[in-house]
Amino acid sequence: MELSFSSKDLEFRDEVRDFLANEYPKHVKEKTENGEPLTREDIVDWHKSLSAKGWMGFNWPVEYGGTGWTPAQIYIFQNELGLAGCPPLIPFGVSMVGPVIYTFGNQEQKDRFLPDILNFDTWWCQGYSEPGSGSDLASLKTKAELVHEDGKDYYVINGSKTWTTLAQNADWIFCLVRTDSSGKKQEGISFLLIDMKSPGIEVKPIITIDGDHEVNSVFFTDVKVPAENLIGEEGKGWTYAKFLLAHERFGIAGVGASKRQLERLKEISKDLGDDDLIAKVSQLEIDIMALEFTELRLLSALEGGGNPGAESSILKIKGTEIQQRLTELYVEAAGEFAIPYGGPDGYGSNVKPNGPDYTNDALSKYLNMRKVTIYGGSNEIQKNIISKFVLGV
Amino acid sequence: MNLNFSDEQNLLREQIQKFCNSDYDFYDREDFINTEAGFDPEKWKLFAEQGWLAMPFSSESGGFDFGPIELSILFEEFGKFLVLEPYLSNVVLSGYILDNSSFDKKNDFIAKLISGEEQISLAYMEQNRNYDFKNITCLLEGTDSLSLNGTKNLVLNGSNADHYLVTTNHNDVTKIVLVSKDTNGLSINNFKTVDDRRISQLNFENVEINADQIVAIGDEAEQLIKDAINYGTLCVSAEAVGCMESCYLKTVEYTKSREQFGQPISNFQVLQHKMVDMFIEAELCKSLLYKSMIDMHEKNDSKYRSVSALKSQVGLSGKKVGEDAVQLHGGMGVSEEMSIGHYLKRFISIDSQFGNSHFHLKKFNNS
Repeated sequence: MELSFSSKDLEFRDEVRDFLANEYPKHVKEKTENGEPLTREDIVDWHKSLSAKGWMGFNWPVEYGGTGWTPAQIYIFQNELGLAGCPPLIPFGVSMVGPVIYTFGNQEQKDRFLPDILNFDTWWCQGYSEPGSGSDLASLKTKAELVHEDGKDYYVINGSKTWTTLAQNADWIFCLVRTDSSGKKQEGISFLLIDMKSPGIEVKPIITIDGDHEVNSVFFTDVKVPAENLIGEEGKGWTYAKFLLAHERFGIAGVGASKRQLERLKEISKDLGDDDLIAKVSQLEIDIMALEFTELRLLSALEGGGNPGAESSILKIKGTEIQQRLTELYVEAAGEFAIPYGGPDGYGSNVKPNGPDYTNDALSKYLNMRKVTIYGGSNEIQKNIISKFVLGV
Repeated sequence: MNLNFSDEQNLLREQIQKFCNSDYDFYDREDFINTEAGFDPEKWKLFAEQGWLAMPFSSESGGFDFGPIELSILFEEFGKFLVLEPYLSNVVLSGYILDNSSFDKKNDFIAKLISGEEQISLAYMEQNRNYDFKNITCLLEGTDSLSLNGTKNLVLNGSNADHYLVTTNHNDVTKIVLVSKDTNGLSINNFKTVDDRRISQLNFENVEINADQIVAIGDEAEQLIKDAINYGTLCVSAEAVGCMESCYLKTVEYTKSREQFGQPISNFQVLQHKMVDMFIEAELCKSLLYKSMIDMHEKNDSKYRSVSALKSQVGLSGKKVGEDAVQLHGGMGVSEEMSIGHYLKRFISIDSQFGNSHFHLKKFNNS
């Protein structure tokens, strides 16, 4: 056993740090540090800086244009991005649909979609949840009917998706759709790629309690999708979706970003001289340390050729609890200055309230982060997974 | 970066598990709780024969040079079975101090510890509850012939010890002295603890101390005590991690077999999620344990701080897991004949020892 990374891994870490110091776009960095909202262009610029470096496919094999990094390198890369306070990577292309396409797609689909994901020329969004299908995803109803027209096969899509993150920015959406309702509910689901410019698609904003427009409803009315956009086999969509979820879990703990926020909070609580807050922050620091080493244990198992399995649900549960706890303590630190609300539309005034800088977005972050224990399989669902697959109940 | 155990370490774990599985039945254990010693001397002999008592000692002292990682494995497995035998007081605390001291007679004492012939307890606690081992009121007086006066409290396994390593204050210089149990002027009161261990109060009244009884002086003595206690803190934390694992496994087993309303109570999601919470607490503590034991193994500066993080968390999580285990066992959970309540008592005892959760949270923050 040893705690430190190999000298090779440490060299790699320095390379990531160099990149972040020199090639991470300055305007994105400034806005992020000042807590200002990022535009679509800002987010694209940030991702394109990674593409230019050849790092967009950080978790992909070399044969599909990825970096071919080891699990340790992937860990270090994600951790450094978090520590540097970078905006989170948009996962829908690189971490979600990309691996599904290179694992289950045909050659034509790989050639068509993978390069645009790596260059961030296509912004993907995820069409999973429906108004009636949240945690019980397999109950989804959006219907895809195969028709033959003008010598070509099409799926005609009717239904709606919801909580679709940044659909307003997206060029394409990957969807789970129902191609068969006769058998078991998991068996009639297919995985379809849909151009957001297709006639019959309508995106309507959903404003969340922080006042922000991050998620949307997406409505499909007789949307014609060429049958060649089907991934793998019809009716196998559930298998691909489960594969995707397993792929997504690593790195979900967000330890790097949490550590960065903790450091600032430690300074704030000491400046305030609030012993009660200091004790709470110390406890949170221990929680983060425990999470960090849980992730490293899983990483070690992975590097040793093992399979982390359902234990990685711990990372989702504790990682998101910690992210929320951080925002709760920032609100506590802000005291009365938490109330003037600096949401996306400003304060209803052209000046900021004169509280300390960390108070400006404390409450909007708190409200925004309520989502993290709900999405990606709510924490209650994660507990069901652990109960069934780890405890054998 | 590697947090996987070596093959040798996995074998050690298997060996200890095999012993505990076959020889450490909870109901047999009950028989020894009420004996004078409070543990099974035959098992202690077996520990010696297996070489377990020699594990952490240096090869020059006849040991195996095993370190914090192997001791953590041992204590984790001991925790699962609530092992009573006094490994902590003899091998970890006294053993560490003797082995790392420049005491010229140390090899004789270590040999007897390793063979299981004699037992030695560390007497460092006094009246205050602040886990302060620096402000010592046991006074050593005189220049040539020395005389010891004062009281030591909460001496682990004190009733079974043949000798005591006693921390003393000699004109504001810390000295660790070795005192035999039948020394004139030493009177001993023995007590039971909440978790069926033995502790003692030692009263020294004009006890004569010779120069050849002095084990360590000044900075060396203080560093030895500090490190022995840090080592002991790691070991009881590892033990707590083992206890937590047993608690959630036993609770899962119990809820699967206990039927109410026509079905196993493990079918109820509210109980499932509670058991998952227990599992998560245990795993997070295990992660902190790994960090601490490797920090100690690598002799990193952060070893005291990471042990404080571990001990603080183990104190909180242990009680939570123990309380939930009792709750999910229903009425059976509070009955003395079931093992589950004994785990709760062990958690409480571990939290109190070497600084409780609150104490270590502050220490963590201030370091």
